[in-house]
Amino acid sequence: MSYYFTILSPTDTPIFNIAFGTSKGGGDGIARFRFPDTAQYMNQFIIHSSLDILEEAQWTNGGMYLKHIDTYPPASAYISAFLTPSGARFLLLHQPPQLPSSGSSSALGASSLLGSSGSTTRASSSSVAANPTSPQTEEAVRQFMSEVYESFVKTAMSPFYKQGMEIRSPVFRSKITAAGKKWL
Amino acid sequence: MCAPTVFSLIVINKAGGLIYQREFQPGLRKLSTNDYLVLAGTFHGVHAITRTITPKLPLAPPSSSPAVSSPGNTAPATSGYSYPNPGVPTSGLEFLETDKFRLTCFQTLTGTKFLLFTDPLTGSVDTVMNKIYELYADYVMKNPFYQLEMPVRCEAFDRHLGAWLRGRT
Amino acid sequence: MAAPPRHVSMLSISNSNAGTPQSASSDKPQTPQPPSTPQQASGLRVPSNRKTIYDRHLNRSRNAELSRASFAYLFAEMVTYAQRRVTGIQDLEKRLNEQGYPLGLRLLDLLFYRSTSTSSSALSSSSTSSSPPNRPLRILPLLHLIHGPLWRLLFQRSADALEHSVSPDTPNEYMITDNDPLVNTYISVPREMNMLNCAAYIAGVIEGVCDGCGFEAKVSAHNQPTEMWPSRTVFLLRFGDSVMEREKVLERAGIK
Repeated sequence: MSYYFTILSPTDTPIFNIAFGTSKGGGDGIARFRFPDTAQYMNQFIIHSSLDILEEAQWTNGGMYLKHIDTYPPASAYISAFLTPSGARFLLLHQPPQLPSSGSSSALGASSLLGSSGSTTRASSSSVAANPTSPQTEEAVRQFMSEVYESFVKTAMSPFYKQGMEIRSPVFRSKITAAGKKWL
Repeated sequence: MCAPTVFSLIVINKAGGLIYQREFQPGLRKLSTNDYLVLAGTFHGVHAITRTITPKLPLAPPSSSPAVSSPGNTAPATSGYSYPNPGVPTSGLEFLETDKFRLTCFQTLTGTKFLLFTDPLTGSVDTVMNKIYELYADYVMKNPFYQLEMPVRCEAFDRHLGAWLRGRT
Repeated sequence: MAAPPRHVSMLSISNSNAGTPQSASSDKPQTPQPPSTPQQASGLRVPSNRKTIYDRHLNRSRNAELSRASFAYLFAEMVTYAQRRVTGIQDLEKRLNEQGYPLGLRLLDLLFYRSTSTSSSALSSSSTSSSPPNRPLRILPLLHLIHGPLWRLLFQRSADALEHSVSPDTPNEYMITDNDPLVNTYISVPREMNMLNCAAYIAGVIEGVCDGCGFEAKVSAHNQPTEMWPSRTVFLLRFGDSVMEREKVLERAGIK
């Protein structure tokens, strides 16, 4: 499973980005997306395309964690969202590792090395982490999001931080990495 | 007994200007605003004089009818020549008593003077003075619209001062 | 850029007295998970006690008290500062409002964070929410949020009244009343400025909260003294047209 996490300000400015892979089931925490490294913008593209759906869901569900809200089937990318009360959006794109059988014909497919390593991981671990819509995954993402929220509130409380500013603190980044490692 | 009748309050800034004056109880002769200004200035001068003439010898305080007392009548006779309370700066006139009223003066560290005219027969003025100082510190000094050394026109100060004195007497 | 300035100022201290001189790379593992990201290797320094703001708790508020006097002096200075170079009372109120606005945005996140983590009972108001508080979607929950939890967070008590405008022309106007606003406790406004209410600062806070929740609003503070409450203040909230339209749509959709 590979993850791309981004925080968007209320005015849709990306203020924080991070890509990481699963640490569960023997994962090494390194993101392996299905796009070649030159097409990293695809993650951002997919995430931003879910904003419309998010804005609809925003006014029908009063919770902060909106769960899985969007799927982009061509890349089998799943998007979960968390809304802070002040309007910042936490978006998490998760992409299960590609199966060699299905991925071989795909033009988007990453190298076969990636596919095989992903599949062995998957085979050895339970299917919890690999199934992006399972309740277990939802819960794990929720835990992850609330940890991010805590760090985010601490950032927002800083007198040197203004809403909409990019978050550049390395401590913040390491906190997010740690949360990802812990839950995802 | 513990609630002296307060006739009037005067606040003098450190330059001797009258910045606040209010009557609470009738009983003293009415003075015009101008007289109050003169009174404030005069008192400021007298106060300064009494401070300089504070006797250095630990003498028993002279007690005539208008008593000018030096701070803390207890004179710790340590050496021949010293101020009554070594280490404490001389403060000048602290109170003045007549048959009709008692004038108590309290000077803050910044030089503002509170003059309280009370009934001479009734008890301690300290609590009243402390409360007035407290109200002044709260409702005058914490007011962003008050300019230092300028006349006090703070409605909240007036209100709380009046309410507190009414509640006591 | 949240934390770094503080760290930067600390770096000289922590480096000089640390007694463990080491190359910049070897003192990195300050975080619980040492080799996390390559960005770690940037010139981050942490305070000598190794506690950044991210390691501190946000909930230590139970016995945390602030001196009312120091707040009063600070607020008095804020008013004095806002008073410089202003053209009139409205301008002054606008500045105070602008000072409060960012505070509202911040408080909103903190309020929700605290009410999620302090096992439901403490902050969730009697009127609004169940244990996991929801983002307000309609005007009324938002107003209850301001009237109850927000006021308690700021002043340790609820506001005194919450009303809807009775006039049919202004259905977008709501009023929150505070009988004795904390900010005005020690303030006497001079007679020539008697329209001024320094609680415009609190109005700015409310405006920040409303805007943060996605309710565009203009909030202003007005004096409404009574015999008993000489500094009674009414906060008038005027929601924008977009909010009222959405309100209608949501009402039809049956969303509370």
